Amino acid sequence: MSHALRVVAAEALKQHRRLFGQPLVLFSMLLWPLLTLAATYYTVLPVMESAAAPQRWPVAADPRRLLAFLAAGALAYTFFFSLVQSAWHFSFERVSGTLEALFLSPASRMALVIGNGAAALTQNAWLFGCFAVAAATAADVLDVAHPGMYVVAAVALLVPAVAWGAFLNSLLIFSRDSAFLYTLLDDPLWFVAGVRLPLFALPVWIKVVGLAFPLTSSLVVLRGALLDRADLGDLVVPLGWLALLTVGLFGGASALLRLGEARVQRTGGLQVF
Amino acid sequence: MSTGIVTTDLRKTFPVRRWQGWRRRPAAAPVPAVDGLSLRIPPGQVTGLLGLNGAGKTTTIRILSTLLRPSGGTVSVDGLDVVEHAREVRRRINVISGGERMVYDRLTARENLWYFGQLYDVPRARLRVRIGELLDLVGLTEAARLPVERYSRGMRQRLVIARGLINDPAYLLLDEPTLGLDAPIAHQLRALIAQLAADGVGVLLTSHYLAEVEQLCRHVYLIARGSLVAQGSPAQLAGQTVRRHTVRLVLAEADPSVTAALRALAVRHDAELTVDVDDEGRPRFALRHPEDLVGAVVTAVVQQGGAVAGLTVTPPTLEDAILALADPAAVAR
Repeated sequence: MSHALRVVAAEALKQHRRLFGQPLVLFSMLLWPLLTLAATYYTVLPVMESAAAPQRWPVAADPRRLLAFLAAGALAYTFFFSLVQSAWHFSFERVSGTLEALFLSPASRMALVIGNGAAALTQNAWLFGCFAVAAATAADVLDVAHPGMYVVAAVALLVPAVAWGAFLNSLLIFSRDSAFLYTLLDDPLWFVAGVRLPLFALPVWIKVVGLAFPLTSSLVVLRGALLDRADLGDLVVPLGWLALLTVGLFGGASALLRLGEARVQRTGGLQVF
Repeated sequence: MSTGIVTTDLRKTFPVRRWQGWRRRPAAAPVPAVDGLSLRIPPGQVTGLLGLNGAGKTTTIRILSTLLRPSGGTVSVDGLDVVEHAREVRRRINVISGGERMVYDRLTARENLWYFGQLYDVPRARLRVRIGELLDLVGLTEAARLPVERYSRGMRQRLVIARGLINDPAYLLLDEPTLGLDAPIAHQLRALIAQLAADGVGVLLTSHYLAEVEQLCRHVYLIARGSLVAQGSPAQLAGQTVRRHTVRLVLAEADPSVTAALRALAVRHDAELTVDVDDEGRPRFALRHPEDLVGAVVTAVVQQGGAVAGLTVTPPTLEDAILALADPAAVAR
């Protein structure tokens, strides 16, 4: 196994032991997303029951499809927000003094942030992910063009999410005042990405802002592939944009890590918290 | 090839910015933390780096370990430049700092060492053996499966030491490594450092425990305000200062003729003499001179018929030397 893979595996295990030591975490991993989903569903439902809603948005006419739409949003949001949390936790390594120990080592910095993000993704989202798949299958809401689209949906969700995690980790690792980013990427993220509302219902400027976040396009692909029988040809635009964003995020993460490390080597900021 | 760690004209200045209105601007004249330092840390030897607080010791260690980038000068480890070949340099070195940071509280000692072993790319089979060896070495074998948050301060510091040795470093940078350790463990660590050096590891040691430095270091660099002020063996350094032997004498009772004889002795040898009284009101003399003048002092007292109530001779110490060389103004006060 190459050194980078060993670092990714070690980082994942470390994060698991640091943050997921208590069995009670399992409850929050499933209960919290479910509560959020239920709250959203029952908030939106009265609006959707108005006569005009189904004319603009056919999904609103069918509570089962509406729930599937919102569940897909909640699932993707859980994936992406778990990475915001992981990056926030990673920034605490500076306070505990362990960030210095990481930077003393010859480990690839990119492998460290990818390992941290991938671990957060797996550990935070697996339970809700399994639940969502099981519920969607049982409720018979899946409408897929062909089995290959499951793979497309999974890749469109996972790869950009890991890139997003790597980018946030590289951003927050050198930032002493990162709490505002956590707040900024919580509620605004679900709002601009169309987690709880269809994108067409949002003003143009919000749609433009939303395009900058990979969650927006991931959701378009996820809902299209799993709920709307879209095939690869139908999703080529969001997939292409998602690929560009993913490359940009990995590239940005790599540049931020280089620049950030050079900066703390110049200023001595690594031990300051 | 092991050529040691070599610094040439090493400089480090931290950029200082201050708010001026709405903009942060560079401060006019930032103070250099390290200023033209040239050192050599050879393999197989413990080298000391001493200085008062703020002298630049920790900054120097951070530069040698690649955590900081020098503002000027060069640093090489076995011929590898620390800036250009940082990753390769990191494989060869490690740092142990006092203060029990640098380990994860929720992980066990074994998990901590495994994790850092992965970061240093220690081969899997070797790592398994190495973790056992290190736990044994620092006396944590029985507590190896307990989370570190349940450790005492000394146990945590011992784990920090084990972490610093996980990659079998060719060079070990020790920044106050025995800080907070109990005497037996500190003693054990000193023995370990000596053994590592005997095995070929190049060790750089900063410590406030000067007995530790005198015991371990073959060569010592003394720095003040980021610059080198003296170097040599601990004995050579102690001998470089003007203040050497101090003869302290207490007379049973005041005697002007004895006082006059001692003053004459001081003038004759160009020695520094201070006279005061002790808690019981008896005259007390302190005579400082490069040579041990105890014989001449006793002779002078006896010849004048004085009675000696107390007599001590303090040989020159490394602490005297550091104070005298690093901050001569303070010593003069």
